[in-house]
Amino acid sequence: MTGAFTPWEPGVFALSAYAFLVVAVTGVLLFLCSRIGEKRSSLEKGRAYECGVIPTGSAWFRYPVPFYLTAIFFLIFDVEAAFIFSWAVAFDELGLLGYLRITLFIVVLLFSLFYVWRKGALDWKKAN
Amino acid sequence: MEEGELKPTENVEDFVERRIDDLINWCRKYSLWPMFFGLSCCFIEQMVTYTSRYDISRFGAEVLRGTPREADLLVTSGTIFKKMAPVIVRLYEQMPEPKWVMSMGSCSNCGGMYDVYSVVQGIDQILPVDVYIPGCPPRPEAFQQGLILLQEKIKEERPLRSILRFPGGTQGSRKEILVEGVSKSREPRGPGYYGTPPRGTAVTPPLFRENRSELMWTPPARRIELNERDRGLTGALEEKFGSSVRPTPHTSDMLTLQVDQASLKQVLHFLKTESAPRFHRLDDLTAIDESTRRNPEKYADYTLVYHLLSYDSASRVRLKVPLSGKDPVASSITDIWPSANWYEREVFDLFGIRFQGHPRLRRLILPPAWEGHPLRKSYPGRATEMPPYTRADAESLQPLDASEYLTPRNEEEYLINIGPHHVSTHGLMRFILRVEGEEILEMDMDIGYHHRGVEKIGERQSWYQFMPYTDRVDYLSGVANNMSYVNSVETLAGIEVPDRAKFVRVMLSEFFRISNHLMWLGELAHDTGAMTPIFYTVSDRERIMDIVELITGARLHPAWFRLGGLAADLPEGWKEAVDDFLRVFPGRIKTYESLLTHNVIFERRTREVGVLSRDNAVDWGITGPVLRGSGVEWDVRKKMPYSGYEAFDFDVPYFSEGDCYARYLVRMEEMRQSVRIIEQAANQMPPGRYVTDDYRYAIPRKDETLKNIETLIHHFINVTRGPRIPEGEAYLTTESARGEQGYYVVSDGLGTAYRMRIRTPDFAHIQAMPLMAVGEPIANFIAVIGSVDYVMPDTDR
Repeated sequence: MTGAFTPWEPGVFALSAYAFLVVAVTGVLLFLCSRIGEKRSSLEKGRAYECGVIPTGSAWFRYPVPFYLTAIFFLIFDVEAAFIFSWAVAFDELGLLGYLRITLFIVVLLFSLFYVWRKGALDWKKAN
Repeated sequence: MEEGELKPTENVEDFVERRIDDLINWCRKYSLWPMFFGLSCCFIEQMVTYTSRYDISRFGAEVLRGTPREADLLVTSGTIFKKMAPVIVRLYEQMPEPKWVMSMGSCSNCGGMYDVYSVVQGIDQILPVDVYIPGCPPRPEAFQQGLILLQEKIKEERPLRSILRFPGGTQGSRKEILVEGVSKSREPRGPGYYGTPPRGTAVTPPLFRENRSELMWTPPARRIELNERDRGLTGALEEKFGSSVRPTPHTSDMLTLQVDQASLKQVLHFLKTESAPRFHRLDDLTAIDESTRRNPEKYADYTLVYHLLSYDSASRVRLKVPLSGKDPVASSITDIWPSANWYEREVFDLFGIRFQGHPRLRRLILPPAWEGHPLRKSYPGRATEMPPYTRADAESLQPLDASEYLTPRNEEEYLINIGPHHVSTHGLMRFILRVEGEEILEMDMDIGYHHRGVEKIGERQSWYQFMPYTDRVDYLSGVANNMSYVNSVETLAGIEVPDRAKFVRVMLSEFFRISNHLMWLGELAHDTGAMTPIFYTVSDRERIMDIVELITGARLHPAWFRLGGLAADLPEGWKEAVDDFLRVFPGRIKTYESLLTHNVIFERRTREVGVLSRDNAVDWGITGPVLRGSGVEWDVRKKMPYSGYEAFDFDVPYFSEGDCYARYLVRMEEMRQSVRIIEQAANQMPPGRYVTDDYRYAIPRKDETLKNIETLIHHFINVTRGPRIPEGEAYLTTESARGEQGYYVVSDGLGTAYRMRIRTPDFAHIQAMPLMAVGEPIANFIAVIGSVDYVMPDTDR
């Protein structure tokens, strides 16, 4: 397929040349970085940077991440949006039956959203 | 010889090696990565170099990196504090090799004008330095030249051998750390002067033995008549407390009461809650070591000094509490004013006076392991009188661990340090947070990383020599600092200032207010996620710097005010420059407002964030725009006018919400009002003298010294030995850009101050930050920092 915007025709050779270039450039850069730097190690250099003072405690602990849940919900609802888009594209072929099915689907989605909301999973701060 | 030509003595391998070296050096010198690291005033000039007028991207070093891991250039721009030195060394160690160090400014080069107990006399004692940039502060052009010099240095390096792990290569900083007495001398006059005391030692504390001020006569300090209200208050206090409260017979500025330690708390409680008028604000709390007074029989060993302010009557009262003993104990007043907490810790830290009933008395400003109390007269003031600070000191004298301040309650909570090196703390300030997820549950603060011992220096420099130190107390406010200082000294000595000088002082102070607010605006916008405004605000600020430079000859630190007037008259062409600015600037404020005021992101980041209630603001001694953002209509320029502010027509904006947005609105409106004041000052500039003809205190005009022998003598005396200020004390505050800055000057009738206390707005503001930040997520805390607008030398002094 010749694109409307560019006369360029994709082919296996171009793809492999491109892949080779990506690997080569990245490899050269990584190699140079590892060679040119002096890599002297010391106690201070091995320490975590925390605004110039010695950090307290370890970085490995159960870290409460309020945005984690939000991110997961986003992923879930986002994937479901993909179904709705594909239904919208095929709106004419699917007809009334399709419409009813997607309505049911959206209602289930809405219920789950309200459930999540009511559970307090969308609140950023914990209720103290 | 041409660059690419084979030298006769060179073989082919050397030639190839040299060309590869050239290639590597070429790459390195045009892609330097400076760390976002500033210590004090110099960093302001360094930062300006990154914006449009100076545009350092031309040199390939424009991207400041937030952490040492990503940076290869450390610019130590500012004073090297002993408390900060361990942090600087750590940051340097955490940078990857090869790395370079530029020492920017006199302080970093050699301690500069701060030969004082808390300052390292040169960064080269603890880090290898490649380039030194002189200046205090160096101009942006000087910083650029420093960068070019560093590029020249990189060009001479031989990196290929190091890269191939062969011997004989050079790359990055390879100079050794300098050692006092071996490879460097801290002695500012040169190594030959070792062992002789610095000039001026004989006339200053603790001995004063060759002080010739004794031979000079001055009239007694100014005396004021107490008004009806003050007499009524004195009567009420004497009736209630009997002889434990005694008014002093003469005073230069306000009602002064001697109070016995035993009844102090009752008196303070009475003044805060019952008396007429009520004194709601603890303005300042400090101490004086009386041990080297010239009339020791008149004084106790120490005196505690409390300054209170009444909003209702716009008046102040001073309470003086004599204490005796070598390490006296006083009673804490933290249950009356919570803000007394830090003031008492500071007095403990610097004087060694203990306070009974204080919740947790410990050092506030000096490092935890410090020995001695520097504001005692017996303590050496100069760093050069102490052993040199070395790399070993920097490794052993670490800041306290965060767990010494706070304790996590469960395993989901943790402690995190924000600062002392952090882009958003706007200076060397360390916040210690107890956090769960993003939410701040508790916070503590560690200040003193910017302590330059100015109050101690004030006791050894003559009254005029101290002027440049005042500029650097709030490095963004320039001559507005001079204003606070001369205001107090002039009140004490009763010096009259001509109208023209008053108007020029007001005009320049307002210019610096705008200049400060422009910097604040850019930073607040930057902190809340808007990158653009700072580039515009800094270029507008440069217009102000141009005017300041035209008038005073300097940019950040003009030190241009004198007792009784100014250093010089306004130069030709000042009016045109000011008019140009006034024509353009109001339109620029509109631009900024259209960028931010109704910007949804900005509003969301600042509205209802960091709320400080009116009651808290009053109780914690908050002043300036932060106070007015919490709904208190209080501006010293209006309520207790100084320097002729009563002659100007301007409004005092205030908003009752108390959030970051309210503080933003206050400062935006203040810029408009400052424009009005400048306009009036410029248009009504009175003719006449720029300095008083009372030459006992003033530095005479040069043309007059050439015609009159008396004037010539005064000129000679006042610029060398300095004038003698009569025995007494005065405390006045001025409305600086960030709040009320006050100088409490105590004179024992000599050529230097006996005690130079500086009351700064930010000390109180930072102490109150937990009220605004606890309960907020960390991101909002950054907005709070931006909206409070503090600078560290103003806090730590």
